[in-house]
Order: sequence, then structure tokens, then C-alpha cells
Amino acid sequence: MIRGCERAVERLFFGAAFISALITISIFGFMFVFGLPLFSGGRFPEIMTRPWAPHLGVFGIYPMIAGTFAVSLLAMVFAFPLSMGCAVLISVTGQGRLSRLLRRTVEIMTGMPTVIYGFVGIFLLIPLVRGIFGSGSGMCVLSAALVLAVLVSPTMILLFCDSFERVPPSYGHAALAAGATKIQRFLHVTLPCAGQGIIIAFTLSLGRAIGDTLIALMLAGNGVQVPASLFDSVRTLTAHIALVFAADHDSLEFRAIFVCGMSLYLLTAILSLLARRAGSKRRQQ
Amino acid sequence: MQSIMNPLLGAVIFSLIFCTSAMAGDLDSFKGDKGELAIAGGTAHIPVMKEAARRIMTANPEIRISIAGGGSGAGVKQAGEGLVDIGNSGRKPSDEEIAKYGLHLFKWAIDGVAIIVNPGNKVRALSQEQVKDIFAGRISNWKKVGGVDKQINLYSRDEASSTREVFWKTALQEREIVANVNIIASQGAMKATVSQDPFGIGYISAGFIDESVAAVAFDGVMPSQQTVKEGKYAITRGLYSNTKGEPVGLTKKFLEYLFTVEGQQIVAEQGFIPVQ
Amino acid sequence: MMRFLEKVLPLFSWLCGAVLVAAISSVTGYLLFKGLRGVNLGLLFGTTDPVAALMLRQQVFDGLFPAMVGTLSLVLMSVGWAIPIGIAAGIYLAEYARGRTKMIFNLLFDILAGLPSVIIGLFGFSLTLFLNRHVSEALRPCLLISSIALAFLVLPYIIRTTQLAFESLPVQSRMTARALGASRLQNIVHVLLPQAFPGISSGVILAIGRCAEDTIVIMLTGVVASAGVPRSLLSPYEALPFYIYYISSQYGDQQELARGYSAAILLLIICLFLFSLAFLIKKGARYRTLYRP
Repeated sequence: MIRGCERAVERLFFGAAFISALITISIFGFMFVFGLPLFSGGRFPEIMTRPWAPHLGVFGIYPMIAGTFAVSLLAMVFAFPLSMGCAVLISVTGQGRLSRLLRRTVEIMTGMPTVIYGFVGIFLLIPLVRGIFGSGSGMCVLSAALVLAVLVSPTMILLFCDSFERVPPSYGHAALAAGATKIQRFLHVTLPCAGQGIIIAFTLSLGRAIGDTLIALMLAGNGVQVPASLFDSVRTLTAHIALVFAADHDSLEFRAIFVCGMSLYLLTAILSLLARRAGSKRRQQ
Repeated sequence: MQSIMNPLLGAVIFSLIFCTSAMAGDLDSFKGDKGELAIAGGTAHIPVMKEAARRIMTANPEIRISIAGGGSGAGVKQAGEGLVDIGNSGRKPSDEEIAKYGLHLFKWAIDGVAIIVNPGNKVRALSQEQVKDIFAGRISNWKKVGGVDKQINLYSRDEASSTREVFWKTALQEREIVANVNIIASQGAMKATVSQDPFGIGYISAGFIDESVAAVAFDGVMPSQQTVKEGKYAITRGLYSNTKGEPVGLTKKFLEYLFTVEGQQIVAEQGFIPVQ
Repeated sequence: MMRFLEKVLPLFSWLCGAVLVAAISSVTGYLLFKGLRGVNLGLLFGTTDPVAALMLRQQVFDGLFPAMVGTLSLVLMSVGWAIPIGIAAGIYLAEYARGRTKMIFNLLFDILAGLPSVIIGLFGFSLTLFLNRHVSEALRPCLLISSIALAFLVLPYIIRTTQLAFESLPVQSRMTARALGASRLQNIVHVLLPQAFPGISSGVILAIGRCAEDTIVIMLTGVVASAGVPRSLLSPYEALPFYIYYISSQYGDQQELARGYSAAILLLIICLFLFSLAFLIKKGARYRTLYRP
């Protein structure tokens, strides 16, 4: 009797895990099935490389792919050094109370609603960018990337700190015993040993930057073009989905957003896999 | 203070009583009704829809009316797909759409599409050729059209927008719009954005114009209720509410309300030209 | 090179710290400066009598009350879906799954955790289309659909925190009861679950915060600009984050914009409260849920 109950509950637990896994797979399935009309007949390369001009019957998403990479990579260019600096301040150069305070601030910042960053971005940052750089509307790659950098930094900082803490303290003691300063210990011992952790932090944050919709939708201008400068208006894949999802449900225009969805799915899945691999490598060390 | 407030208060109360008694008739049809009504689509329609919904729901709290944007394209499609009861559009749905979904159309207002700039901008008139050149990117500096020596920041609407379609067809005569243009998702957002950008130019439903933006004369004609009504202003369109099949129940009553004296008064108050 | 780095690093780190603190204080400072005056009872109820509004006798047209009710029901429902499934799946992963099965599940949950919210939203939207066409015409974008989609979004948080909470329990507590003859299930329910409770509850709080904050998923699955207090699970609804988004792009006048600032402060307070709570219960809860070490 008890044994039967045990089996039943185990099946129930398995069922829950199975359903959750099934959701992950069926999301991909939906993207694929809905996007299918665009894949048939060898049109796939065309979609990935052509511009978006629905009135001419061209549904390429190339400008959006370029926009996504422009915004997210630029955000990482800002966020990576910023996060590294803050993580160093928290774990190496900062003093007791101050570094604890900064850490608490960063932890709280992970809970900031995205829409608030977007809201303040529109009314504070956009006029500022427009004013300082003189030309353009202020809705551009730069504005979106700046806010996105602030958005992803807290998580990245905590992940960096985490990876520094994982380095066995005995390594560091040896360096200190040999007369190294705290900073030398960090640069020569901790940092090289934390390599995989840094890769994890970077890939996860990049995934977050690529996947963010609201900031790009509110601040990047949503113009369909391959950006030539930091002050160009761009549309990301995510913003494109949010802007076009209400189109005619039988049209190729509507189908094209599922191709966007699938590209995003694959992109973020690959990044998750890379982070996983870095994680298992670190365990082996 | 007291002596100033009292007559004022009296006037308010008087006008409230007067209004409710005068208008109660048009809301009578909703008495004893209950249920839900979902509206989506054209963003130019939203202020009228909101005000109508507010009055109906105040008179009868049992009724729930939800209002979403999305643009005219979304309005037509979502009504056609049965995702909403009423789909609004700022253009007449195409014959193809009407046939495909079995749409019934209700045109309750006429509206102009106005070109707007920031109030700080001195440019107040543009010819059609100038407008075409600006949106094609051939004129990219305000200096060339009589303004200051600053780059022109272009704002356009998304593909679901009928304001974009009407503007593109009538004002731009279907010429290409340059790629370096910011895309805005609604009327309200367009107004808010241009009011913030001293060197921006965009286009908007004439009903939305207020002191935060400045309208520009198009080929010498200022967009106003008067010029639109008289047909002098060139860029005009109808505001439609569409249903899939013959409207029934609450949907029917809501649409009928838009055509009552009170409904058409709301239309006029929001800056559009009533059809009756 | 290293010499140079050693010299510059302290200065650089202080600079970064200053930039980050400046960024976050300008965001919050700006909001407080612009919106604090508007945070009062009128913000919620407008000109409507609060008591009448709370009793649902009168509808609120110029206040945040409907949006607050919408967000609250959304959060309760989504977390309601996600908790049983998430905790059960987490327990399975920590206590039962082994080898290949465990690896595959881990992999899939990693992918799910990393998916952009817009994809979850698009999935919810296409699911609605599918159900509307093939199951019932009555199914439209609504509270129910949104809450299910949001549950998908936060499911990985709950699975991960549960799994982590179980796996980090000391070996003794795992062994003692078993040695005394308790079955595996008895051990889980009576010994391990109570000990893992703080970890799990911090995950749930994080999930609540995420549901309250999300804008994109609901934008694609049923939130609208104006709806009043939702009547049923199948009604469209208003929500606080969407209200802020909506106001930011289409405020009609300065008064409405001011309400947007105040709404943002309200959301900020709610989310920061939830996150502080989660961190208080379990340190470092959020970022560890994003990946398996």
C-alpha cells in the first residue's frame, strides 16, 4: 500500500517535470509550425538576409537581426567593464561596510522593474542624448544600449562576485604569504581561476540583453534599417514581434514574426548551453 | 472664497442636473443590460471610445467595456478573427477584408491627418512637394524649409496604422519613406514624442492636436474641424467601427449610442467631425 | 602591463561603483522628484469614493484601482499555477532524477529560464489563436491566458530554487530519517521539505515579483488600456506595469503623465519590497536560479 503510494507520488513529481519540459519543447514547436509557410520552398535564406518591406511582399528580418546585435553587443561593451569594476570594488578593493552596502544595493537593483528603466529613459535619457549629441531624435542604439547596460549589470556583478568567491581561498593565501598585495592576488590568482565563471556571467547577461523587449521598444526608435551609427534608430527582433503581432494572422507578415521568435529561441538556447558548458568545465577544475 | 465658490458650485450642480436629464434618454437603452464588450484597434478612436464607455458604465455598472489599441490593421483583423467585438479602423476596410470576414462597417466620424511639429519650431507651412522630400530624406535640414539649421527628426507610424496609410497615399502619393525614421505605435505616442523633440516632424489625427504640438499648413491649408468639414484640407479619412457580421446585443447598442445626439457630441468634443 | 593594471584597478573599480550608484540614484531620484507628490489615495481611486470602489459598487475611471486589482489577480493566478508544478518538478529533479534523465531536464529548464519574455508572450498569443479557432470562440486574450503564460515564465525560478534548496541540505538530514525506517516520500515530506522551505519561499517571492513586473507577456496576451476591474477569468484586464508603459508613450496631458510617475513609484515599492524579502529569506536567491553551478 505504502509502496503503491510512493510510486504514485513519484509519478506525479515526474509528471510535473515532464510537463515543464514539454512546455519548453512545445514553445519551439509553435514557433516552427507557425513560421513554416516561410521556410518552405527554400525561402529561409531570403528571410534572413533581406530587408523588411511588407508593401513590396518582402519579409526579410535582416535589419532586425542587425539591430538586435547592435543594441545588445553595445550594451555588453558598457556593462562588462562596469560590472567587472563593481565586482572588484565589492570583493577586492572596497572596505567592509561600504562593500556590503554596495552589494546590498546591487542585489536590490536586480529587482528593478524593466518598465521603470524604460519610463525614466524616455523622459530623462532621450532628451539628454538628443541635447548632448545635437543631431537625431535621441531614440537610438546608444540610448537603448545605455539603459540595457544598467539593466543587466546587477546580475552580472553578482555572478562575477560569485565566481571570485568560488576560487579556493588557499590559492590566495599562498600569494599573500609570498608578499603580494590584495590587488596583485586578485589579478594573478583569482582572476585567472575565475575564467569559466566570467564566461558564464557574460553569456547569461548577453542572453538577457538580446531577449529584452521593453527597453528597445521604448528607446531604440524602431526604425527598420541596418544601423550605420550609434545615433540611428533601430528595431530589434523582440521589438519587431511586439509591434507586428497584431497583423493579419494568415499573412506572411504575421508568419515572419515566428521566424524572429525562432531565431531568438535558438540564439538564447545556444547561450544557455554555452553557460552550462562553462559550468561543467568549472566543476571539473 | 466662500462667496466665489458658491455660485460656481451652483453652476456645476445645475449643469450636471441639466446634462443628465437632457442626456439620460440616449443611455436608456443600456438599462438592465449586463455583459462584456471588447474593443480594439485604431488609436485615434480611443478617446471617443473611452468617453462613451465611461458614460455607459457609469449609468450601468453591470456593463464592462474594455478598450485596447493596436492600430487599425489589428482592429480589422481582431474583429474578423472574433478576438474582439468591435474593431476600429481609421480607414475603410478593403473589399477583400470585408468579404473575407463578413464585416459590417459603421462610420461615425470624419477626421483629418495633420502634419505636426514642435511648438518651438517656426515652420508652420509646407507644400506637398516639401513634405514628400522631407519624408523621402531629400530634405534633411529645417533650414531648407525656412527653419533653423538643424537636422529634421522624422517620426512615422507602424504598418498597422491607417493614419500612416492615409498619409502615405494622399500626402506622399505612395512615395518611399526613408529608412532612417522612428516608428511610433500610436496617436498619443506621436503627439507626446513630437512635443518633446524640438526638431521632430510627424503626422497625427487632427482630433489629437492641442497646444503641446503645432499643426502645419499643408499646401496652404491649416487642418481644422472647419477645413476638414468643408473639404478644403486634403488629407482626410473616415473613422470606422467594424463588427464581424450583423452586430447584436451590447455591441449593437454601443454602436447605436455613437450615432445618438450624445454620442455625436462626444465625437465633436474629442475634435472629430460628426457624421450627422 | 600588469604593473599598470595594478595601479589603475582600484581607481577603475571606484569609478565603476560611482557610475552604477549614480545611475540607480538618478533613476529613483528622478521618479521620486516627479511623482512623490501624486502618491495618495486619489492615485488609486481618482474621484470615486474608495469604499464604493472597493465594494465594486462603482467603477474607477481615473485611478489605478482597476490596474492594481488586475495585477494582483494576475500574480495570484500565475503563481498559483506555477507553485505546484514548479515545486514538484524541483523535488523530482533533486531527489529522484538521475543520470541522463536529470541531464536532459536540467538542459531544458536552462533553456526555458533563458527564453526572452516576448517569446513566452508570443507563445501565449498563438495558443489563444489556436484555442479560439479550434476549441471555443469564447476564448480570447484574457486574464486566464495571461496568467498561464506568466506561469511558464516563472516556472524555471520555482523549479530551480526548489531543486537548489533540496540539494544543498546536509547529508545527515537525508540519512537520519531513512536510517530510522522512514520511506523516501516520508523523508521528503516530513524532513526535507520543512528544511528546504526558506529556499522555496524565496523562489516563490521572486516569481511574484517577476509576475508583478512583467509587461511584455501580458501585452501580447490580454492586457488592455481600459477595462475596469476584471469580471471573470475570461475578461481583458488592466495591469500596473502596462499602465506605466501606456502612459509613457501616450499621456494626454501633464496630469496623466504625473499619474504615470506616481504609478512607477508604486510599482517600484512593490517590487523592491518583494525582492528585499526574498533576499532576506535566502541570500543570493535570484542570480543563482539562472544557472546550475
